[in-house]
Amino acid sequence: MSEQKRAALSRREFIKAGIAASAALGLGGAPRFRPKVTGRARSANKMIVLGLDGMDPVLTKRWIDEGRLPAFRKLLLQGGDFRPLRTSLPPQTPVAWSNFTTGMDPGGHGIFDFFNRDPKTYFPVFSATETSGAAKTIRIGKTVIPLSGGQIRNLRKGKAFWQVLEEAGVPATVFKMPSNYPPVESKQRTLAGMNTPDLKGSYGFFRYYTNEATAVIQEAGGGGEVHDVAVIGNRVEAELPGPVNTFRTDAPEATVPFQVFLDPANAAAKVVIQGQEFILKEQEWSGWKHVSFSLIPTQRVHGICLFYLKEVRPNFKLYVSPINMDPARPALPISTPESYAKELEHRFGPYFTKGLPADTSALVNGVLDEEEFLTLDNMVYEESMAMLEYELGRFDEGLLFYYFSNADQRQHMFWRLVDPGHPAYDEKLAARYGDVIAGTYAELDRALDLALKKADKDTVVLVMSDHGFNTFRRGFNLNTWLLREGYHRLKKPWKQEESGYFENTDWSKTRAYGMGLNSLYINETGREGEGTVAPGPDKDNLVREITQKLEALIDPKTGERAVLRAFISKDTYRGKNLEMAPDIVLGFNRGYRISWQSPLGGFPREVFEDNASKWSGDHMSAPDILPGIVFANRKIAAEAPALHDVTAAVLGVFGVETPPEMIGKDILE
Amino acid sequence: MGIVNLVFGRIVDVILLPFRGASPWFGMAAVSLLTALLMLEVYKHTSNQAAIRRAKDRIKAHLLELRLFKDSMPVTLRAQAAILKANLSYLAANLKPLLVMIVPLVLILAQLSLWFDRATLGPGEETLVKIGLEEKADPISLPMELETSPGLAIVSPAVRIPDQHEVAWRLKAIAAGPGHLTLRIGGLALVKSVVVGGRPLTKVSPLASRGSLWKQVLYPGERALAAGTPVRSIEVLYPAKSLNIFGLRVHWLVAYLILSIAFGFAFKGVLKVEI
Repeated sequence: MSEQKRAALSRREFIKAGIAASAALGLGGAPRFRPKVTGRARSANKMIVLGLDGMDPVLTKRWIDEGRLPAFRKLLLQGGDFRPLRTSLPPQTPVAWSNFTTGMDPGGHGIFDFFNRDPKTYFPVFSATETSGAAKTIRIGKTVIPLSGGQIRNLRKGKAFWQVLEEAGVPATVFKMPSNYPPVESKQRTLAGMNTPDLKGSYGFFRYYTNEATAVIQEAGGGGEVHDVAVIGNRVEAELPGPVNTFRTDAPEATVPFQVFLDPANAAAKVVIQGQEFILKEQEWSGWKHVSFSLIPTQRVHGICLFYLKEVRPNFKLYVSPINMDPARPALPISTPESYAKELEHRFGPYFTKGLPADTSALVNGVLDEEEFLTLDNMVYEESMAMLEYELGRFDEGLLFYYFSNADQRQHMFWRLVDPGHPAYDEKLAARYGDVIAGTYAELDRALDLALKKADKDTVVLVMSDHGFNTFRRGFNLNTWLLREGYHRLKKPWKQEESGYFENTDWSKTRAYGMGLNSLYINETGREGEGTVAPGPDKDNLVREITQKLEALIDPKTGERAVLRAFISKDTYRGKNLEMAPDIVLGFNRGYRISWQSPLGGFPREVFEDNASKWSGDHMSAPDILPGIVFANRKIAAEAPALHDVTAAVLGVFGVETPPEMIGKDILE
Repeated sequence: MGIVNLVFGRIVDVILLPFRGASPWFGMAAVSLLTALLMLEVYKHTSNQAAIRRAKDRIKAHLLELRLFKDSMPVTLRAQAAILKANLSYLAANLKPLLVMIVPLVLILAQLSLWFDRATLGPGEETLVKIGLEEKADPISLPMELETSPGLAIVSPAVRIPDQHEVAWRLKAIAAGPGHLTLRIGGLALVKSVVVGGRPLTKVSPLASRGSLWKQVLYPGERALAAGTPVRSIEVLYPAKSLNIFGLRVHWLVAYLILSIAFGFAFKGVLKVEI
């Protein structure tokens, strides 16, 4: 087995070990919240907050001036106000929205990065949720019977603002707030957002069935898999894998067989899966299809997925979306009360439940092209708009928070087509898709238009984003740099590029390592499994030395600094939950981001590399250069409001006192 | 068989006529009640009521014997043997009425499935039309054309599957109302009904066939397809329907069996039937 294959395997193992267990948790009795919404008191003030992930202030302002965002312009003309919104450190989506949710910074809510690490094993773990299987099981032959329920925990600390509102008797509906998975206990209506896994337990794992040789790059927490299939007699027999079956000792993936019958001449096929039959023409999407995975005779897990017949011939190509949890029968808690997810399903039919539904992995890997990706993401947008109309239709008191992911996801994927200096810039594609980002902002403008139409004089309308966006041209291999500078040591230096997950690291001689997208850790004695640096002056000196070197680091190709600021976390964060905090947080310069291999302990040869990926826009920069937006139909008093200040503003609208642990100040006049 | 289906169909149509606009539960309750009354009468007149009463009395007596003489093994064993024998007598006495009842019951169930098993297509909804062919027929070389009435549209090319003897299209319901499909094959035209929209209780026939007697019994909603073509069946895949009670989905057959049994027990005393 090649080292590359071994690395791929270990990544799969990581995904499996880290998160896939969640798929089985529902069967072990994940905690359920009380379904009744009671104790609500009417309040005179009302508030609608639109959370538009990744909306950039510079672009927004430009397109307002050009008249492309009429609802935003209308809001400003009617006495509203606008400010760039100071983002979180680092400006990552789960961190930023956690700042808003809790009114604290990462030192308070404890979410510092997409990934964290187990300091004892140096193995990456997801920072937002923790899953564990049943504590006690018995084995009968190859069957494992859990004697207790599994657990899935939202690791974010602190009270969510809707919990504070609930205590004050103010009703709220919070729609797809990122990092609210599993949804925190509340009697308010909430639907889980980003971090909600697919049925496999990942952040989105597509399937691609083809008889053409295709390779797919695996990603931590998501990605996809190519299934080689044969077309025999115009028929394809295949299996759709689902969750890991933890009721079996060998923990195989539960699967569902399906058949595809191709017409011998027409570009169309019939798909048969679990008694459902449907015809797809070439380049056509199915609607949602239900699938049900049997784990043991008494336990089934229910999901929904989309099929896309990309090509019938000469090569057969069938894409199957990540299997979302069926909102009518979710295996894990996705809403409070439980009935809310089902109520939406009853009203709209199946809908996207996976945290970020756009399949960026499929586009990155060329499984879907730009048009196909946009078709899928348009389904997400149309669904969001329909549900927003529904929620606005019945909104008559309290707070409505409503989230859109489209701007974030499309800027990640299409920035290369508005940046001629990007390594993945393509003139032809730019001519065709160069306006996608502007078009997306215009689509979100329609959401604001709906909100403004609903708002009366007592309704505060606020539009916010968690961070801005910029280009991602160059990747910085933090671990390679640490290696070159002598802070990190490998056991077999000649195998540097084949190392992943620090498998080749000599911890006894290592002083620092990078894990996650912005995080650097000192190999601290007593904290890390094989720590070498004593806490106190030794560590402090080392931290200072590394930050100075990072801030002085110049990319030889561009002559620019890669790291604008390296933040020392203990001097930066407020709050008491710093035990899992990185020691240094990297604030990248414009155009720079952590590379693709470094976040999970890889050591590519070069310190810097061009980013040739379609994932071409990003938001890992120093917070000062990457603010989000805040618009309101009221005057904004603060000159430089931050995310946690918006939390205070939400509470302020309802006259609710800000709890002492929240660090924000009300920004509305 | 066509006449039988027609008669039973008309009867069920008339019974359900007042309930078409109401919740399907009302129609279900009405047919369950009438079925229970009908079956009680059939049972009463086709069974040996005296023999049934005698068998039940014997079972009760021997059960009493079991309780009274539970310390005596020989008596207990004799009583158990007697209960078994009385049970067999009871079953034998039920055999004739059951055989008589099964025929109308199957016909009623087939008719009820037209009303309760499938939902109509909603406007905008898409489904499949499947043409089942004889085994010798080759769907690839066979010239056939599917036409729709206004309010329906074929929205995919045909998918021909030789090893399943099948040709399928995707059908889109555009406007509410009754419609039909016309399959032109070998100079003949075969017609299949399609229902879009309608009231909560609407008759839906998923399959028209030229097959066996059994198929005509099971799918009584339409006339048998004309002979002279290799087409065995034309099927429209309607969505499944279920009855809802307190948020729970109940299969119509379960609801029908529970309700008709409940009505049967409720009215057996009134009609003086020994079950």
